[in-house]
Formats: sequence, structure tokens, C-alpha cells
Amino acid sequence: MSFIDISSVAKTYGPVNVLENVSLSIERGEFVVFVGPSGCGKSTLLRMVSGLETITAGTISIDGEVVNNVEPAARGVSMVFQSYALYPHMTTFENVSFGLRMAHKPKVFIEESVKRVAEILRLGSLVDRRPSQLSGGQKQRVAIGRAIVREPRVFLFDEPLSNLDAELRVQMRAELTDLHRRLGTTMIYVTHDQVEAMTLADKMVVMNGGRIQQAGTPLQLYDDPDNQFVAGFVGSPKMNFLPAQIASVGPSEIRVTGVAGTGQGVLPLGGVVRQPGPVTLGIRPENMRVLPSGENSSGLVVEGLVKLVEELGSESFVHVELKDGTRIIVRAGRRASEAQAVVRVESIAKSALLFDIDGQRVRGAGKSL
Amino acid sequence: MTTIKRTGSSDLVWLILKFTVAILIALIAVFPIWWMINVVFAHPGEPVSLNPRLWPTSLSAGVSKIQAIFAETGYLRAYGISIAYSVLTIAGVLTVASLAAFEFSLFDFPGRRLLFGVVLLALMVPTAVTIIPTYLITSRLGWINTMQGLVVPGVASAFGLFMLVQFMRAIPKDMIEAARLDGASHLQIYWFVALPLCRNALVTLAILTFIQAWGNYMWPLIISTQTDMYTVGQVVGLFNSPLSHNTVDTVMTANLLAAIPPLLFFLIFQRKIVEGVAMSGTKG
Repeated sequence: MSFIDISSVAKTYGPVNVLENVSLSIERGEFVVFVGPSGCGKSTLLRMVSGLETITAGTISIDGEVVNNVEPAARGVSMVFQSYALYPHMTTFENVSFGLRMAHKPKVFIEESVKRVAEILRLGSLVDRRPSQLSGGQKQRVAIGRAIVREPRVFLFDEPLSNLDAELRVQMRAELTDLHRRLGTTMIYVTHDQVEAMTLADKMVVMNGGRIQQAGTPLQLYDDPDNQFVAGFVGSPKMNFLPAQIASVGPSEIRVTGVAGTGQGVLPLGGVVRQPGPVTLGIRPENMRVLPSGENSSGLVVEGLVKLVEELGSESFVHVELKDGTRIIVRAGRRASEAQAVVRVESIAKSALLFDIDGQRVRGAGKSL
Repeated sequence: MTTIKRTGSSDLVWLILKFTVAILIALIAVFPIWWMINVVFAHPGEPVSLNPRLWPTSLSAGVSKIQAIFAETGYLRAYGISIAYSVLTIAGVLTVASLAAFEFSLFDFPGRRLLFGVVLLALMVPTAVTIIPTYLITSRLGWINTMQGLVVPGVASAFGLFMLVQFMRAIPKDMIEAARLDGASHLQIYWFVALPLCRNALVTLAILTFIQAWGNYMWPLIISTQTDMYTVGQVVGLFNSPLSHNTVDTVMTANLLAAIPPLLFFLIFQRKIVEGVAMSGTKG
């Protein structure tokens, strides 16, 4: 049995289903990130684990014990909120020690615990300051300190870095990874930022519409998504999707035509049992290239008009509008193209993913693409 | 440059006008109090003579009048009753209003909206309308001429509740949830988190309640029929009554003594009172 077991959990607010039949296993010491767009139910699921939200159906167990009816404080979980939720009238010491004081721990124990946490999070010089005298990053560290000091079984983070600027967010991300390595405690982290999710997670759980779309390591989700939503959500810039038609299905390949209007190509996908019909091709920007003028290709080539070139120094993102109006992004080198130029874009056929019209992945019988 | 000059001179005129009006209003407001002090601290009859003086002439005359009032009337006892009445009312209003506001503003429970609507309705009903039923209940409880009779009916303040609800609604829900996760009980969250966070509102409510309780004349007049339960307001009323046979300066001394606590209170908490009145205008 897993350390945390979420089994067929559902949550409804009146007639509105926020979560439907969610099941997930989390191992001890894992860093799990729930990621998804706003309103997908990720924060609700986290709050159900914390006990701040009731469970409509299903069970949540921690370390073998079903906690559906256990009070939040008795679950052995600590939570860091997006707003930090520090008590403004208390000093850092009082904020961090609040939980211990509520538990009537001895004074000496409280002082030693706060000192230990202050050392871990470099809060030593801030213990007498109130939240209004702290910067955003310091407040975040105090909030984490308040969570750590109770030595919980599970840390819960609800978009804790959203209020920080980009630079500080990167720094805090590294600090959180380091903290997880040092403490080895199970952590569940909620974010809508897929970059944050990919950099932090041992296990990434992509959610949408109140359901788990896919769970796995970040690279599993990046390379082998189960559906079009996961494929589009994971990765930046996001995966390009091109409408196409299956013309014929062979034993080791599929011929597609009408790719974004006129393109055609052969995908090395074996063992697929399908009738010809409409599908969607998913190709990541790095698996496409702008063909230099005069160079011919027998592969999957589409033509379009460059709408925008984003130069990032070491590389550029070329935004191309194809003949059927589909817009794609191609990851290219510096000065790969210019706006308003007509270009041909070649895709690496073997890295193209195939999706059904309902968004589900079409996999081959052999090695998945 | 011309524009700047014109703006400068019109600003100056506006400034002078503002100060003139402010000083005039201040004089009108302060004069009765000053006249009271002038009458008390002067030999009898002097300020109202044919050649009246606008400033005090005898400190000792005033002191002896105050001593006489304290020694010969039940004024000191009334002072004690009024202070106890005010302090207990403040404590009661703050406790009841803050506990109720805590529940109304931070938690959801069946009938919350309806109950709060009833509270808002209570705000709109004038005191005079409820005074008879309140008296009948107090009387049946046997609380006539008792401190609890004076205090308890005024403890559930719809205004206080409404004011604190507005304040507590501003407390982020995350903070309450963080406290829950930290193991704080319901009452501990109230005591350690909610109350300290609305300290300013509590101070303002305490001041407004003091002013209201100290100046309350109608309820003590009904509930305290025996002289040993009279509040300062009632005693001053006796001094002012047509058959009291007191001289003007004695009446003024009684009035001045009654006015001192709220005056001191006002001077100390001036800013808070202004904030509170402004708040009761916009939020209450």
C-alpha cells in the first residue's frame, strides 16, 4: 500500500462536480506536483488531503489510516499557502512557534525547535521581525518554517511561489528542492506553472476538468503523453497540433495526408488498427525545422507565412501560420527567419504523435512514439 | 508664471477662509464648556453679573463647590455607578459582538444570512420602540434597580456586531485555515488570531460604547428608580430640575463633573473617535 492513497475521490458543490473519480498513489518521500489550468480541481484535491475540505465520495488514507473524518491538525500535515497566511501581529518566532504553542509544548522544546528551523531556512536574524518587515521571499521562508517546525508527515504547498517575482521564484524553487532532499518528507505541491512542475516533481499529476489526465515523471509526461491535453499542457512552447487525415494504414507505417491542408507524410507507427479518417498530429517545436530555401525534403513538409520571430539570444521561436490557418511554433537557431517570409517547415516524422479526434493518443503496438 | 501667482493667491484666500470658518465653529463648540468652567471657578454670581467676566477668577471657589457637591449629595456614588455601568457595558458589547462577528464573518452555518438579516433589521429599529418590551423583560427577571438590569439589555449591540463583521470579513480565510492546521481550537483561533487582528475596531467600538453608555439617560431613568442606583446623568438631571433650588453655579459644577470623563476620553482617543465615526458612516 502506498503512503498516501487517494481512492475514487469526488467533490461536489451542490450540482457542480469539482472532482470526479480521482485515484492516485503517492509513495513516502515523493515530491508530487499537481498541475493544471485554473479551476481544474488541483487545489481542492490538496485541501481534501489537508482536511480543510470535506470529501463527497471516496477515501483518502495516509500511512494506512483513512483520514476522511480526521481533523486537519490531527492528520500530521502542514500547509504553505499562496498568500503565506502569516499572522501579521506576531513576530517570526511567534509565527513559527504558533503550532507548538497550541500543542502546549514545553518552552525549551519550542525555542530549540524554532532555532533549528531558523537555521535550516536562514531565518536567524529575522526572528523578532513582524511579517510587514519582511520581503516576499523571507515571508515565504517563514511560512515554510511554520510548516516544518511541526515535523509533519506530509507537506502541502498551494501555489506558494505565485506571489514572487520571476527571479525569486527560480531561487525558491531551488531552495524547495534542496529542502526536500534534506528532509526527505513527502511533499505535495500545487501549481498552474508547468515549468515549476517539471523542475520540482518526482511525480507530476496533470489535471483538467476535475480529473487526473495523467500521472508520471515529468519526462514521461513530456515524451509519452496519454492525450492531447497533456501533450499540449506539458512543454514550453507547447506542442504543435496539425489536423490531418489517415490515408492508409500499413503493418509498420501510417500514411497521412491533408496535414494542415496540403502536407503529407509517412509515420513509422506499426500495429495500429484504424480506419482512414481525421486525426491530429502532435509535433514539438524542437522536432521541426525551417527548411533553407532551395533544400528539398521528402519528409513531412508544410508551408506557411512567418507571423512573428521571437529572438531569445541562443535560439529563436518562429511563429508560422500555415495555409489552413493553423499556427505553429518552430524552435530554431538565431535569425532563422524573418517576419512575413514564406517558409517551408519540415517535421521529424518519427517524433510525431498521433491523436484521435477525441484527443486520445493513438499508439502503435510496438515501441510508442 | 502668472498662472502660478494667481493660483498661489487664491490658495491663500481659500486657506484663510477655511481657518476662519474652522475657528468660528471651534469657538461655538467650545464656548459652552468654557462658560461652564468660568461659572464654576468664580465667586457666586460674578460671571452673570452686570459686568460679566469671561475667564475664571477663583480656583478655590470652584474647588469648594466641587467638594460641597461630593460631600452633600450622592454624586460620588453616581459616578461609581456610571463608571461600572460604562465599563461593564463595554466589556459585554466587545465580548458578545466580537464572538458573534467571528462566527458571522469567518464561518458558514445554516441560517447565517437570515440571522444576519435579522441583526440588520434590529439596527433600523429605534431604541424608543423596543424600550417597553425590554423593560417588561428586565422587570420580570427582577432586575429593576440592579447593575445587571442596567448593563445586560445593552450588551447585544447590533451596531457593534455589524461594525466588527465588516472588519473580520477582511481577515484572510487562509489565516484561519493555517491556524486550524496548526492545531488551534475554535476559541483559540478567536482569541489568538481574530481578536488581535481587529484590535483597532475593538478600540473604536469601546470608545463609541463608552460615549453612548456614559451619556445614556433614557434607560437608567427607567430602570434605576432608587437614588442609590442613579447614574451621573440622572443626578445631573436632579440638579437641573426646576424644583431643585440650586444656584446656577452649583448646577454648572454638577454638569462640569459629568462632562469631565467624556472630555478626557475624547482628548485621549480623539483620532480613534474620528476614525470610528467615519467608519460608522461608511460601514455601519
